[in-house]
Parts: sequence; structure tokens; C-alpha cells
Amino acid sequence: MSVNEEALMWVEKYRPKSLNDVVDQHNIVESLKAFMRNPKIMPHLMFAGIPGTGKTTTALCIAYELFGMNNWRNFTLELNASDERGIDTVRERVKDFSRYSRGAFGDIPFALIILDECDQMTGPAQTALRRIMETSSRTSRFILICNQSSKIIEPIQSRCAIFRFTYLNKAVMTKHLEEIAKKEKTNISTEAIGRIVDYSEGDLRHAINALQTAAAYKEDGVVDEKVVSQIIGEASPKQVQLMLNKAINGDFIESRRVMYDIIGTYGFTGTEIIRQMQKELFKISYITPEQKAELSNILGEYDYRLTQGANSDLQLSALLAQFAKVRITLGENS
Amino acid sequence: MKNDLWVEKYRPTTIKEVIGNEEAKILFTEWIENKRPTKKAVLLYGPPGVGKTTLVNAAAKEYNFRIIEMNASDTRSEKAVNRIAAPATSFAGLDKFSSEIKGNMLFLDEVDGIAGNEDRGGVNAIIKIIENTRTPIIMAANDPDLEKLRPLKKICLVIKFQQTRIPLIIMALKKICEQEQITYEFEALEKIALNSQGDVRSAINDLQSLSEEGKSLTLQDTLALGLRNRNISMDETVRGYFAAKTITEVTSLFYASDVEYDDLLMAISDNVARRYTDPGELAKAYDYLSQADVFRGRIGTENWHLIKYVYNNLAQVATVNSESHKPFELITPPPIRVITLFWTKAKRTMLNSICTKIGNQCHISKYEAKMIYVPYIRLMLQQKKKADTLIAWLKLTPEEVTGLTSLKMF
Repeated sequence: MSVNEEALMWVEKYRPKSLNDVVDQHNIVESLKAFMRNPKIMPHLMFAGIPGTGKTTTALCIAYELFGMNNWRNFTLELNASDERGIDTVRERVKDFSRYSRGAFGDIPFALIILDECDQMTGPAQTALRRIMETSSRTSRFILICNQSSKIIEPIQSRCAIFRFTYLNKAVMTKHLEEIAKKEKTNISTEAIGRIVDYSEGDLRHAINALQTAAAYKEDGVVDEKVVSQIIGEASPKQVQLMLNKAINGDFIESRRVMYDIIGTYGFTGTEIIRQMQKELFKISYITPEQKAELSNILGEYDYRLTQGANSDLQLSALLAQFAKVRITLGENS
Repeated sequence: MKNDLWVEKYRPTTIKEVIGNEEAKILFTEWIENKRPTKKAVLLYGPPGVGKTTLVNAAAKEYNFRIIEMNASDTRSEKAVNRIAAPATSFAGLDKFSSEIKGNMLFLDEVDGIAGNEDRGGVNAIIKIIENTRTPIIMAANDPDLEKLRPLKKICLVIKFQQTRIPLIIMALKKICEQEQITYEFEALEKIALNSQGDVRSAINDLQSLSEEGKSLTLQDTLALGLRNRNISMDETVRGYFAAKTITEVTSLFYASDVEYDDLLMAISDNVARRYTDPGELAKAYDYLSQADVFRGRIGTENWHLIKYVYNNLAQVATVNSESHKPFELITPPPIRVITLFWTKAKRTMLNSICTKIGNQCHISKYEAKMIYVPYIRLMLQQKKKADTLIAWLKLTPEEVTGLTSLKMF
């Protein structure tokens, strides 16, 4: 079976299948190609960089090139550190995998383990990972993927060749989106693409998802900026915005109700909620930059208390109560 | 706060005033007067509230020693013990030019609280200091039979304290009532004393929590006592808590109630917004509540000595503005969190299953699926065209499709 030939999410359909097609990371690709010519010398790899810049894609391309489109799944273990319950699960799965994949593939003396979102692992878990890397190094090569390499412990970093994926600039993203639109026979205005690129903040996956949704909403004629704005509006975190607005306008009770609703439905952690609040806070138009700065500091304080405290919903409630107060004192001053 | 707590206000300041345990007092006085020079350190042990700490403080005052104290709230690893205790003992002589102060006295309270891991080496450090010093060292403990304290017992003079006898407690309570100008029925004091089981401190605390200014203390008042000591319901605790006017009142209430502090923390969080309707007051109250929760987090499973900071912060929450208190309808347990998680469980489980499927097809984590795929897929499914093939590709069930299309954005 070929890889996602019939994929219906454009992100997958147009995911590069060879290192040559990886968008805008030429230096990295050139270094990796050297390993592909002589796989025996390939060390453990670490890919670091912001989301949606091609880290997972590049790792998958390596798997395709090493083992071929038909075989790669048999010799590649894909794990996501943020989904696996603990290091024990990781250890078990790596152990099982390296046991069964010992009869390596052709000239390739190892199997590939792609471990995504490594920076989500705790310190002790990383120490255990380091041990796993050592014990399975005869049979396996790791590709560790993370957003920030600084969150990975030194001993692991020193065992890997580190590649830093750079921010995709707007021109590159625009070009890529235009190509996809052309292949999908979707007519889209330059302004509309510009709007998508701005909104996705350098995350190509985000941009392609928005593009596909916009195309689905406008079958005939041109996808214009209006459609895109509508899609972006529909797909923006409305409840997080509502929670913020209610709090800032002093309606603590309602704001807390929304907070519990989001946590209940989506199962977000306190830190994840605060991260979204931080992002949305700066988009609010009716408060001044000074007020945003003050609110942002409060967010920071409670972000920290979350890590120390025992009940994240209590800390979030306390945070919303601080927001409800700040608006009033600021309102009186201005 | 100037000794609002009667246990502090009426704490004896001379050895003679300490009630009961005459034998222990004599042994201790002899040791401090250096009549028993065989042992450099002394270990006082006995049940709580019988006057161990009080005796040490009173003796220090009478014999002009300066007390350097470490208790359970300090970590007593070897390093910590050495940092604080060692200088205190080795510079004992420095103060001697002043005829007033004889020197330092090191007082380690609650030594049975030296925890396994946290205070690693603590006992050994104490032994080393005892061996190398001429400064009197006093330790107090509730349970002397602990394995880890065995080496200490060998080199200490061990003095045993017993429960204070009931008549002595009654006398102490009577004295306090007279000073506070509280009229009382003798039977009421008797009941409080009996109820304390020889713990003077708890007896005085009970007396304070039962007494009201200008009202006579009757046996009737104490009937609630037995009940109160064991189980004030959550409702009653929370109601009394928010109605409290002073920190003392809150403290007494906590003392009387044995509601689980984790449950209490949530109950207070649920209700605090009904208690304080002014945003400024609410923010202040929640700030204290948040700090109480931070200390709860720091306790984890072993730093139980921090629990007092949880209670202290909770007491602050209740007394942000005692003037503004009006009766309000309580939100009763289960907590809002539990109810929300219960009602949303089906949705949450379904979303998790959907995101796992998306994750498998698109090489991403569940979190990323939630953040940057679900918002768009949800919209695509609302457009009926082509939706069928996408649904098949993602392997979604009809229920999941319905759930996804009706899902509100986070």
C-alpha cells in the first residue's frame, strides 16, 4: 500500500514523500542525504523547531527512503511522548519493537524509532529514555522530535546529531499553499492566502487545514478573503475568548462556568488553558497595551502557581477572579 | 494578632505555673541546674498538649538561657541541623560577658517528625552535636519508640510526661474563665476537661471556641462538644467558616471539624464567589485560596508539617471582609469540578477517541489533533459534500460524526 495516496486530509495528501520535497529546509536535507547514501553511519537524530515546520515529515521521509514505501511500517516505530502514559509504556514498546525487528532490512542494520514531542517528557523519564537509547542502540536508531532542544537533558543531546528547523517564511508558505490550491483546482485569491498565512503563524499544517476547509465552503467561484475570515472565525477558540471577556468585564461566575465547560469537554490541562488565554488575550481590541501587560503578568503568576499547586481548576478560578478585579481598577483610573 | 489564642495568652511563664507532671518537672529542673551532669542532652516525651514545650520555655526564662529552636516546620537534614544548631552551640561562650544570659540552649521540638528522606542524616547530625558541645540540648517528642530515635535515646536523659490529670485541667480552665470574666457551670468545665483526655491545649482551645463574651457557659453548650470534635458536617463547616469574624474563630472551627482538607479546599472554592460579591474582595480571597492550594501541592505526600500554612491561608480567605457577610445558599458537595467532569465524560471520551484516530492517520499527538485538526475537520464535516469519504478515511463512527459536528469550539 502506498502512503496515503488516497488521503483525504490535504495535510497528509501533500505531505512530502521524499527528502527533496521537504519545504524550505535545504541545509538539513543535504546533511541527511549523506546519511541516506551510507545508512550505517547514521547516528541518533534530534529535530528541534517550532510546530509545523516539517520535523515529523522529514523523519517519515527518512523512514521511506531507508526501508521503502511498502516496508517502512514494519521497521519504524512511531511514538508520541505526549500520548504515552509514562516512560514505562515507552520502554515496553521500544523493547518489544526492537525484539521483533532484529532481522534488519537489507543493508540497513537497524530499525527506526521516531519519538515525537520529547520535550513533554519529565526529567526522570528522559533519564530513562537515555538508558533505553543505550541498551537498544545496536538494533535501533532514534529520531527525537521536540520544539525546544533546551528542554532535553544534556546526555541525550550529546548522543544525537541535532538539526534545528527554521521558521517557514511567508513567501515559502504562500508558494506552497498556491501549489496545493492549483493541484486541487481551487480558485483562491492572493488576499485570501495572505490571510491564512498570517493566521497560521508559521505552522504549515495549520495553514493547509484552513485552506482545505475554506475550499470545502466555497465549491464554485473564488475562495476570497471573506470565506477565509469566516472559517478562521469559526475555528478560533470562541469559548476561551468568551471566558476571557466575561472575566475582564467582571462576570466571574459565568467566566468560571465556561472554564469548567472547556476543561470538561476537551480535557485540557491548566497549563494548556493558560497558554491559550495568553494567545487570545493579546488579540482583544478593547483593552490597552498596558492593561494587556498587567493581565499577562497575572497569567504568568498563576501559570507558576499551577505547577506548584494541587488543584488546577482552583488556580484557574483564582486567576479569573484576579482578571475580574483588574478591569475594574484600571477602568476607574482611565 | 496579639495572642488572640488563649493557649498562647495563658501559656505559663514559670516552671511552677506549668500544671501536672511534677516528677518530670523535678527531673528536668535538676538536669538544667547541672545536678545530673551525666547526660548532655535530654529527651522529653509524652502525649501532645501536656506542657513539654511550655516547660522548656519557662525553664529557659527562669535560668536565663537563650533558646534556639528548631521544630517540625524546619527541614532537619544534616546540613540544616549543622547550619543552625552547630553555630548556636559552638559560640555559647560569646554571650557570657553579659551576666544576664548564661548561654544558649538548643531546643529541637517534635524530633519524632524527622522524616526518612527529607531529613537524611538529621539524627546523626544531632548526635554529633551532642557529643561535641557543652550547650544544653533539649528534645521533645510524642512517640519515643521510633526506631530512628533509638541512637538518640542512648545518649540522652529521657524524661517521661503523662496526661495531665483532669482536676488540674479544670483548675486551669477555671482560672482562665475568671480572667476572661466568663461565668460558667462547673459541670461544663468538667465536661471539657474530660473530653480533652489530658490534653491541656485542646481543653483550652475548646473552652475558647465554646465561650461567648457576656454569656454564661453552660453544660448545655458543651453537649455539642463530643459531636463537634468528631464530625461537623461539610455544610456546617463551610457555613461556619464563611460566617467567621476573626482568624481565631476560623482556627477553632478547623480544630473542631475533621472534614478532609482536600474536600474543604474544593468546597471553599465553589462557594467563595457567593460569599464575596465585590470583585476586589473576591480577588483577594481567591489569592489566599490559591496560596493555600500551592501549599497543599507542596505537601505532596510527605511534607505534612506544611499543612498549617494551608489552614492559615484558608483562615485569611474567610476574613477578607467580615463586615460584608450575608447568609447565602451553599453550593453543596460534590464539588463543581466533579459534577462537570461527570456530565462531560461522554463528550470527553468521544473526543479523545476521535483525536486518537486523527493522530494515527496524520502522525500527530492527541493534543495537536484537538488544537489544529478538530476545529477544521468539524467544519468540513458540516459541509456535506465529500464528507463521507473523509469520514471513512478517518474511520469515524456515526456517533463520532454527530458529536464532532455539534462540538462547540474550546
